[in-house]
Parts: sequence; C-alpha cells; structure tokens
Amino acid sequence: MKAQQNNSRSLWMIVLAVFVGLNSCTIEEQVDLNAPSVDGIEANATISELNNLVAGILHGQRNDLDIYLDDHAIIGRDFYRFSSADPRFTADIPGAGSAVLDNNTFYITRPWAAGYQVIRNAWVLRHAVANTSAPINDEQKRGYLGFAKTMQALQMLWLSNLTYDNPDGCIRVDVEDPDNLGPLVSYDEALDFIAALLDEAYDDLNNAGNSFLFPLSTGFASFNTPATFGQFNRALRARVAAYQQDWNEVLNSLAVSFLNPSGSLTLGAYVAFSTASGDRPNSMYISLPNLPSNARVAVNSWVADAEPGDLRLNKVAPRSEPAVSGQFSSNYDVALWSSLDDDIAIIRNEELILLSAEAKIHLGDLSGAIADLNIIRVAAGLAPYSGPSDPESLINEMLKQRRYSLFGEGHRWVDMRRYNRLDQIQTDNPDEDVWRYFPIPASEG
Amino acid sequence: MLLTVWRAQAQFEVSGSVTTQAGDPLTGVTVAVKGTNIGTTTDEDGQFRLNIPGTTATLVFSYVGFATVEKTVSSDNRRLEVVMVESSSVLEEVIISGLATTVKRSNAANAVAQIDAKQLTGIVPPSTFDGALQGKFPGVQISQNSGAPGGGINIRMRGITSINSATQPLFIIDGVYVDNSIIPPGLNVVSQAAARGSPRQFDQDNAANRIADLDAGDFQTVEILKGPSAAAIYGARAAGGVVIVTTKRGSSSPDAPRVRFSQSLGFQQILNPLGMRQWDTQKVADFYGAGSAEIQKFLDAQAAGKLYDYEMELYGNKGLISDSRLSVMGGNERTAFYASGSHRNEEGIVLNTGYTKTALRLNVDHEISEALEVRLSSNYIKASADRGYFNNDNTGTTMSIALSSTPPWAELHPLPDGSYPNNPYAPSNFLQTRDLITNNESVDRIIMGGTITAKIINTDVQSLKLLLQGGFDSYTLLTRAIFPRELQFQKDGNGTNGASIQGTTPNFTNNQSAILVHTYYTPSFTFRTQGGLTRESFKRNTIIVTATQLIGSQTNVNQAGSISTFQFRSQQLDLGGFIQEEINWDDKVIATLGVRADKSSNNADPNLLYWYPKASLAVNLTRFVDGLDPFSTLKPRIAYGESSNFPPPNAIFTNLNGVIIDGLAGSLVNNQRGNTAIQPERQQELELGVDIGVVQDRAVLELTRYRKVSKDLIFTAAVPPSSGYTTKIVNGGTLENRGWEITLSADLVRTENLSWFSSISWWKNRSEITELNVPAFVTSAFGATLGTFYIDTNRSATQIVGIGDPDLIEPGDEYVVYGDFEPDFQMSFYEDLRYKNWSLTFLIHWKKGGDNINLTQLLTDLGGTSHDYDDFTLDPEGILPNGPYRISQLGVSAAPFVEDASYVRLREVGLFYTLTGEQIGAWTSNLVRSAQIGISARNLLNFFKYNSYDPEVSNFTGNGLASGVEVNPYPSSKSFLVSLNVSF
Repeated sequence: MKAQQNNSRSLWMIVLAVFVGLNSCTIEEQVDLNAPSVDGIEANATISELNNLVAGILHGQRNDLDIYLDDHAIIGRDFYRFSSADPRFTADIPGAGSAVLDNNTFYITRPWAAGYQVIRNAWVLRHAVANTSAPINDEQKRGYLGFAKTMQALQMLWLSNLTYDNPDGCIRVDVEDPDNLGPLVSYDEALDFIAALLDEAYDDLNNAGNSFLFPLSTGFASFNTPATFGQFNRALRARVAAYQQDWNEVLNSLAVSFLNPSGSLTLGAYVAFSTASGDRPNSMYISLPNLPSNARVAVNSWVADAEPGDLRLNKVAPRSEPAVSGQFSSNYDVALWSSLDDDIAIIRNEELILLSAEAKIHLGDLSGAIADLNIIRVAAGLAPYSGPSDPESLINEMLKQRRYSLFGEGHRWVDMRRYNRLDQIQTDNPDEDVWRYFPIPASEG
Repeated sequence: MLLTVWRAQAQFEVSGSVTTQAGDPLTGVTVAVKGTNIGTTTDEDGQFRLNIPGTTATLVFSYVGFATVEKTVSSDNRRLEVVMVESSSVLEEVIISGLATTVKRSNAANAVAQIDAKQLTGIVPPSTFDGALQGKFPGVQISQNSGAPGGGINIRMRGITSINSATQPLFIIDGVYVDNSIIPPGLNVVSQAAARGSPRQFDQDNAANRIADLDAGDFQTVEILKGPSAAAIYGARAAGGVVIVTTKRGSSSPDAPRVRFSQSLGFQQILNPLGMRQWDTQKVADFYGAGSAEIQKFLDAQAAGKLYDYEMELYGNKGLISDSRLSVMGGNERTAFYASGSHRNEEGIVLNTGYTKTALRLNVDHEISEALEVRLSSNYIKASADRGYFNNDNTGTTMSIALSSTPPWAELHPLPDGSYPNNPYAPSNFLQTRDLITNNESVDRIIMGGTITAKIINTDVQSLKLLLQGGFDSYTLLTRAIFPRELQFQKDGNGTNGASIQGTTPNFTNNQSAILVHTYYTPSFTFRTQGGLTRESFKRNTIIVTATQLIGSQTNVNQAGSISTFQFRSQQLDLGGFIQEEINWDDKVIATLGVRADKSSNNADPNLLYWYPKASLAVNLTRFVDGLDPFSTLKPRIAYGESSNFPPPNAIFTNLNGVIIDGLAGSLVNNQRGNTAIQPERQQELELGVDIGVVQDRAVLELTRYRKVSKDLIFTAAVPPSSGYTTKIVNGGTLENRGWEITLSADLVRTENLSWFSSISWWKNRSEITELNVPAFVTSAFGATLGTFYIDTNRSATQIVGIGDPDLIEPGDEYVVYGDFEPDFQMSFYEDLRYKNWSLTFLIHWKKGGDNINLTQLLTDLGGTSHDYDDFTLDPEGILPNGPYRISQLGVSAAPFVEDASYVRLREVGLFYTLTGEQIGAWTSNLVRSAQIGISARNLLNFFKYNSYDPEVSNFTGNGLASGVEVNPYPSSKSFLVSLNVSF
C-alpha cells in the first residue's frame, strides 16, 4: 500500500512539475523579421513610406508587362514569340491546330494578377494617405491621390483590353476591400468606370499644387509635376474616349494632353527598365539575331503589307535564315527595343496624333484628319496621303498607320477588334485562330 | 526502508550462465526478475548472479538478435544454464514508446518501422542518408528529386499530410532535433524558372535536403513513427512523422570488434539513357523546313562522321566512387566510446559534378556512479556537392533544356583556341556550360548532444529516473553559383555578362528536455509514468548576394557592375510538456495514455497551449490462453493520437516586398495575404492492427490499417487575383488518408551453414479531400494545359487533371482526370541469404501505378530530338508519329503528358564473402578478427515503361505536393562498388 501511494504521489508530482514549468515560461509575440506589413503602413505611414509605395507602383507596372505585350502582338499578328521553354506561346495564343486559350495559364493569369497587384498597391497608398499623421498638407495628399488613381485607371484599361466583351464579364472595378470584391462588370461599364476614375484623378492633380512630394521614374521624366502628370492623365482619357467612341471627348482630352503635332513622336510616358543593381531589365529585348529557341519574330505579312520605303520597317531586322517553330516561320527579328535598358511606351505623341485623326474622321473633319495622318506618313518617310478621302478609306488608312506606328505596343488587336475587323487579321496557317478575348482567370471564381 | 524489510523476510541467490546454441558464452545479456526492478547483466564469461526476494520468481533473459527466454527459479532451483537461440524475429526489436522510454515490439500497440545498420547501410554503402532509406519502410514513400550528386528527396509517410505546409518528417538523432531545410542557391536569377524575380522563388533550384549531409554509416537503428498515433508525444512538429536515429555506441565487451576498416571503390553511370533521334534528310526537311540550310549541314556532318551523341557526351561519364571508413570502439566497465571517421568522394555522371563528404563522430558513455550516467554524442560533417545546372528554366539555358533542342550535327566542341562555339539551336552550348559553371553547395556542420540519467530512486519495486537531455545542430551552408561572362547565354547581350550568386546560411537549432520516468512494479502489473518539459529553438538567416555584369573573370561579388541582395530570416521558439502513463499487465495487456501540450512563437497566439492526446492498447492473446498453436503470438492492437503542423513562417503577415526602380526604393504588396487568425493543422490518426507469430515467432505477420485525418488544412488558397493578392493563407479543409500496411517476415531457414531471412512488405494509401472551404484549385505544376495537381472536394489529394476532350470531363467538373500521383500499391522484398561464408542480400522495390507529369518528352519533342519522335505508338489514328502527335495535343489535351510511373527496381544488392578470425587469424597473428570482401550495386536492374530517365523525379523541391513533375532533370544513376571490410 505504501508503495502504491508512493506511485501515485510520483505521478502527481510529475504532472505538477510539467504544468508549472509550461506556464511559467512565456513566448514573445512574433514580429515580421523580413519586411514591413500592409496593416502597419495603412494605419500610419511616414512620407518616405508613402514614396516607397509610389515607387512600388512604378515597379509593379513592369511585372509581366512582357506577357501582356506578347499576348497582344501574337493575337494581333504583329509578331510571334518562340520559346523552347514554353510551347504555349506558339500553341494556345495563336490558336494553332485545335489549341484554345485556357483560363488558368500564364498568358492571362500573370498579367491579370500583376495588374491588380499594382491596383492594390495604389489602394494601400490611398488608404495610407488618408490615415497618415505625417506632416503633409492637403495639396500634397491630392498629388499622391491623383497619381494613385491614374495608375489604377491605366492598369484597369490594360486588363480590360485582354478580357474585353467576354460574356463572363470584363474586369472588377470595385476592389477596394479584398474581402468584399465587386462583380465583374461589362466592358462598357469598365470603360465608364475608368473614364470617371481618370476624371477624378485629374481633379486631384489640378488641386495638387506645383510639385509632387514624391519622385517618379525616368519613364515619367516629362510628367513629374501635377500639371504635366495631368497631361498624361488626359492622354489616357483620350484613349479611353476613343474606345468609348466618344469622339468629342477624344478631342477635348487631347487638347489638354501633351499632344504636340510638331513635337517628337516618341514624346510620352514610359515604363522604365534598367540593368542597374536590383533594377529590372527590359525582357522584351532579345539580342540580334534571335535564336529560334528564344525569339520574337515579326509576322512576315507585317513587312509584306508595308508601303515601300516605310522607315518604320526598321522596327524589325531581316534574318539571314528564317526562324521556325512548328508551323510558324519568320524572316524578321523584332528590333523595337535596342537594349535591356530600353523603356517601354505607355502612351506617346504618335498615338495622340493618330487619335486626333481618328476622332476627326468620325466627326467629319476629314481634311483635319488627313493633315494628322500626313504628320505620321511624312515622319515615316512616306508621301502624303493620296487615296480617297471618304471616311471609310480614311479609317482604313488610319488603322494602317496605327499598325506600323504602334507595332508591338499593344494596339493592333484592340484596334481591329473595336472596328469589328478581327476576321481581317491574316493568319499564316488556316488552322489558327484570332481570339476575341481572353478567358477570365480561373481563380476569379 | 522497504528493501530491507523485504530482504529480511526471505530471499535466495540464483546464479547461472548464458550461452549460444554453439556453446559460446553470451556477454551483456539482460537478466530481469519479472514484476520487479531487480536485474543484472551477464559478465564476460556469460555468468550472472542475482539475489531474489521471496521463494520463487521468473527470470527474463533478453539480448539483441536472440529470442527472449523466460525461466522459473525457486529457492530449490538456484542454478540455471540458459541457451539462447538467435532470432531475426521483428517482435524481439525494442522500439520507442515515449520521449525517454522504449518497449519491446511484442508489447507495442503501433506499427513502428525499424531497421538496423545492416539493412540501412550493410548492402550498399549509400551516398547520402536520404538515399539509404528508400524502399525500406512500409507505408513510407521516399522518392528522389533527381540524380544530382548530394541528395534531395521527398518523404511521405502514410500519404500526404498537408497540401501546402511542411510534409517532411521530423528528424531526431540521439535526442537532437536535426534540421532538414531545403535552402535554395538562387539560380532563378539565371534560369528564371519561376520567371524573373528574386531568389525567393526558389523551389525549382533543385537544392538538396540538409538531412542528406548525415553519415548513415554511424547509424545503429532508424525508427520511423509514421503518424500521430505513434508520434503524438512529439506534438506540434510530428505531423509528417518522426524519424528517430540511434547512432552506434561503444562497448566494453571483448567480443565487440575494436577497430573496423571499410573501403569501397566503384563507379556510377546513367541509369536509363534514352538514346537520340535517328535523323535522315527527310526528317530534317520535315522539321526545319524544305528549303532549310539545316539539310546541307546534316548531310555534311553525316559525311564527315560528325553526328554526335550529345546525350552520352553530357550524361555518359562513369563517375568514380570511393568510400572509406574507420571506426574504433572500446571502453571499460564504466566508460565506453565509439569513434569513427569516413570520407566519400563521388563523381557524377555529368563531368564537373560530384559530391565529397567527410564525417567524424565521437560517442562517449560514462557511468559516474551506479545512479548517474552520461552519454555524449558529437558529430562533425563537411560536405560539398557540385550539382550542375538542370531542370526547368525560362531562358533555355540549363544543360538539359539546351540539349533538348540540339540536333546531332551541331558542333559544340571547343575550338583549338579553347573557346566554345555558340550553339545555334539553343541559347546555351551545354558543353561550355558544363565545363565553365559552378553550382556548389558546401556545408560545415556540427551536431552535439548529451543525456544525463540520474536514478533518483532505485528499489526492488520501483525506480525514478531523471533524464536531462540537450543538443544542438549548427551549420553554415555556403552556396556558390558562378556563371562566367564568356558563356553563350551571358555574353553579347544574351544575359547579364556573367553572374555570381553566393549565399550564406547560418542555421542553428537547439533543443532541451527534462524528463522524469517513474516505474513501479507489482507482481502482475508494471506502471510507468513519465512527464517532462521540452524546449526547441530554430534560427536561420539566409543572405544571397547576386552579382551580375562581372568584371573580367572575377567572381567576387564586389567585382561586378550590378549587385543585388536578398535576405530571409526565420526564428521559432517552441515550448512543450507531456505526461504519459503505461500500464503493463503481465505482458498480457499493455495500455498507454498520454497527452502533450505545445506553444510556439509561430502560432498567431504564441502563448496558447495546443493539446495532443494519445492512447493505445495491445493485447497478447497467447499469454491468456495456452494451446493457441500454431500461434506463438496473436496480438490485436489499437492506437490513437493527434499531432499538428505549424503554419508556415510569417503566415500571419501581409508583407510589402522591397523593390527598386531607377534607384528609387519601393514597396510592393506581396501577392500572398497573411492571416492573423491562422490555426495549426491538426492530424488525428487511428491505427488498428494485429501481429501474428507462428513457430516461436520465426514467421511474423504484421497487419495494420490506419485512418489519418488532417483538419484545418492550411492552404495557400488562391483568392481572386483582382483583390491584388493571388493567395491567402487559410485554414480551409480536411484531408483523409486511409491505408494498409502488411509485412510478412520469416526466418525461413536457420541452420549452421545456411540461413535465409525474408521480409516482404506491401502497402497502399488512398487520400481524399473530405472538406474544402476554398474553391477547388490547381497547384504545384504548370497549369491545366500540361497537366496539374488539382485540389477538389471528395477527390484524391494527389489527382492529376488537365484540359482535354469535353466528353471525358465528368459532369460538374472543369477538367479531365488523367491520373494520380499516389501509387496503387508498393511492395518491397528484402532477402538475406547466407551459405557458409557467403552472403547475398538484396532489396527489390515495386511501385505499382502512380502517375507523373512528364514534360521532358514534350520539350524534347519541340526541339525535334526525342528518341521516339518517329515511332508510331501514340496516335490512336496512326497518322502522326509520337513527336508530332504529342505536339499536336499541346493546348488540346494534357493526356500525353500524364504518364504511368510504375517501376520495379533492384534497389540494392550485395554479395559478400566473409573470412572469420579462425580462417585468417593464423596469417595475421590473430590481429584480424574477420574480413569481408564483396560486390554491391544500387539500382542495378530497373524495369519501367515511363518515357524518361527515371520515374522517380521531381522538378520542384519543398513542401506539399512537390513531387512527380518532371522537367529535364539531372538523370538518375546506378552504381557498382567493390568493398573490403576488416575488423581488428
């Protein structure tokens, strides 16, 4: 009996020792060792943290921009992307054989996610500006807000170009609360929202004083004050108005944009790339000559359809031997970018002149339109326009000039689609498709 | 006090001897008086002497490798001559039952798998510890990621436990928690396998698991606790199972060899070369175009006899292997030591790849007094692996992907001036890449541990022991990847003019525990109570510096035009406590009840205790009733336990990543959203089984059925990316694994000249996602076009789906189901035959079913070089050859990319001839006790239809489903060794 008591006494002593021991030590709350947190920044950011978010937006714009541009160029048959590492560039996107677009593959999921990541970063910036106790005045705050909203509108515009009038919807525009997202809206609703957001941003910029409290990248060298950034905002607004076929608005916006008929055609806003430490090189650039295993090569018809002497053919470089990948073949490498440090255009003067021409055609100012088109033709080393001057012919001419002026910059597919001419995009092989829109990414549910 | 009282009542002395059947005395045999704390061991002559209270008693004689014997003694019968019979019966094994206690398997309620040194390393000296485990544990699936030297494996015990969190087991060596991280070298900067970005995106870097560093040659036993029913006492870290290693200890026995020397020499070669496509003019014209200049190049090369077999040029090296080992042990009655040193050097099947490892160990045991004992273990390891540059990329630059698009008429060999021509067919001249790059992981590692055991109370009827245990595992891993600027893919604007990627990771893990064990004996019951406190701490700090735009041939990261850095830190502190009570009723019924509580800095509330209960019951029916012949053992058993799995580090935070644009520092939201309410995953396992032994347990059948439920699964769930995040950490589902494990082991023959031990295991597992609170999602592959894993309710967790014929899609589904990574079943045959001085041992491993996503063949098709490009075996209409057929299915159906990955392989085989001391003693003045010479091979025979180098492969390393996706790996090898072992 004594021994049994001894046994249970030992048991209870052990139990006691364990639980006294366990509760007498406490573990400190975990802190994030590796990075700042969103919650902390939104609650109370310093000025330098706000500026970090601005730079984050500019950086984020570069994420998967190459995929976005490849998507456009391949479907619009500007150029092909050959990659031995990823066959889907030459299968799904050009619809080779019976391949179709998938809703869970990089060509839609990656640019979609990258775009909304920038939009989220801009929301974090907007929230942080609203809550900050840093010493900044109302004008300076509206500078941040005008920037953030313009960038959100730009990203939504890019995304809506991919999903367009997909019957499942185009994009979500109400995404402020990540736990309570708005519905996928139609393409027309998306454009209305983007236009309104740009207008709201423009109002902020007009009340943002003379300078921003934050630096911008070299891509925005000409647009780094509230006033000049407002001109960039209006240029985007003109593009949106054209997509909305609101031709008066196109001209109104262009009037206060950086449109300059006598200025450099390359004047504009750019996404900046660099090979500097920690920075991001331009991944659209591939050194010449491209290898067939890793190439961007122009669709031959783009060269064949050009008028003789068009200087814009310098955007491609002839190959000594055709590049072949499966059923695709090309004699020209894309030479639109000349180094890993080259920037990629967001919007530039050349497009604005063409938008002006387009609006004038639709509003009946045909001679004004021809004058605009001739600026482009002459700059490309071509004779002034001598064809028929009826609206239909001028639209053909305008689309043709856009094809060569904006090669590889994400326009051809959109342009042919908004004029209902996708069936006029020539494919090299009969079994290819010219898709109208991308599927909504699977994870949008 | 009690002791003297009893002794005064009545006691008698018993003495005797213990011998083998051959009459040799057995030293160190444990002699215990049943139902008491009284016992002793036999001396050098096999003699023992014991004072026993009362007038009768039962003595239990036990010794490793021999069948346990029970003898009754009384004051009238005080002299015993005991003969012990050798036995390989698994029921004689002693296995872990708690943090500080063991139990004989014949009394265990769990199917704990255990192998000893002979099975672990005795057939073929393994390259790495991980490789030595494959195919040896029923219920455990161990698959290597590639053939790259230096290891890299994925272990799954009883199916997959978690979709996104850690699934790898906890490794404990002599009580020390040993780190098994996979730390990436940051090759992604060059390969862009996860697209451009930081070295954070690491899981395609093909890094080794750090457990591979360990030297298995020092291991005495390896035990695997496969699920929570056995591992609950390890609590919050035991979700993936626990691997417990006990290393060799010294011995003062005169029979034990004092010095052992082993030397193995051999080579390895590619396991399954695929061969190259046989080209002709028509094929060249078909592939490159009718007017292509390639036709003439092909004809010229053919005429000049310069069509090269580049597969064998790249993978054809016969890599030399040398493995040396020296161990010394000794001691006296109070102190024993074991010391060993080993060195291994192996070349890979690709030139300039290879592995070297040097390991030293010193284990010392010392008895300070009757009541106080110290055990110290220390281990130093220096290892270096050159792993080459393989697997997926997005730049076409890995050697294997460059090979896939290079035809045999390409001229890649160095020019007379030593420079390499560019490869016109790929971004990389893989011969240049092979010869010039470095991708090295090297580690310096110290693992030390110690245990102090104090017998606080030690009487005839009870004992109380205090165990203080502690240890640490400290290593520094250096990763060094050098891509010189003269590489085709680095120069002339094709890359970054060289890249030097150098990583340093100090990792420090330490753990301590204090455990009390109280044992109380009554004539028919033994109660064992244990309780303790544990503390584990983990620290890691990885810094990777990536230098590009290298200056000349410099590789120092400061000799570069562009430098970027990356740092990842993690820290974790866990505190735990446990209590366990074992009740043994005369070896008839053995019951265990226990509970563990854990808290951790990794949980959202670091001071919240999580509880893990366990309970088990084993009933030895043959001890209740006599005459159950032919059964010598009939033991139904049942066990239940719980464990958990921490949220991944930093799961509670939503981060902003640091970025740079034009010199402006930026913050960009991470695409993963944290969750401040995250809970650990919890596993609950119920295991039922029966052990059946016949003919004195010469043949034993162990049959186990389990059901393991993983609740609160942590998903990196896909969220609508329009939220700005692509994933969010959530507790979102339940996963169930059910399976069978059957092992039949038998001493088929045991005579003086001939013996045959056979062990056959069969196991299968089925998983099902029984609950999913997030939308079904794809994971761990390259999207539905190419085949992917897909997590969906009421489906297998490892199903593989893809796009395809809408008629094949079941109603309500989005994709066609093409397969499942989970094998139908697995089976292993371990056979150990001895005839006189000869021994033959082999292990056959059969994996039936289980599918892989094979993208190597697709990429090779697109390069036009597949070995079966021109065969007609796939197209159901017989129109297209295999290559064009597979390409034609791209974007149409994922069916051709999902392939059955069954195999049968002779994993290990060894044939040895042993000379005993008597046979050679005369020539060596009795210096040599025995010598053994033999030949052995790993992966000697392989049978599979899988259309690549090896069905055992993974492009991804890391947690969760990271297995079975193949993208141009470093091919697997088979190895042959000649070994000489001498004992002095």
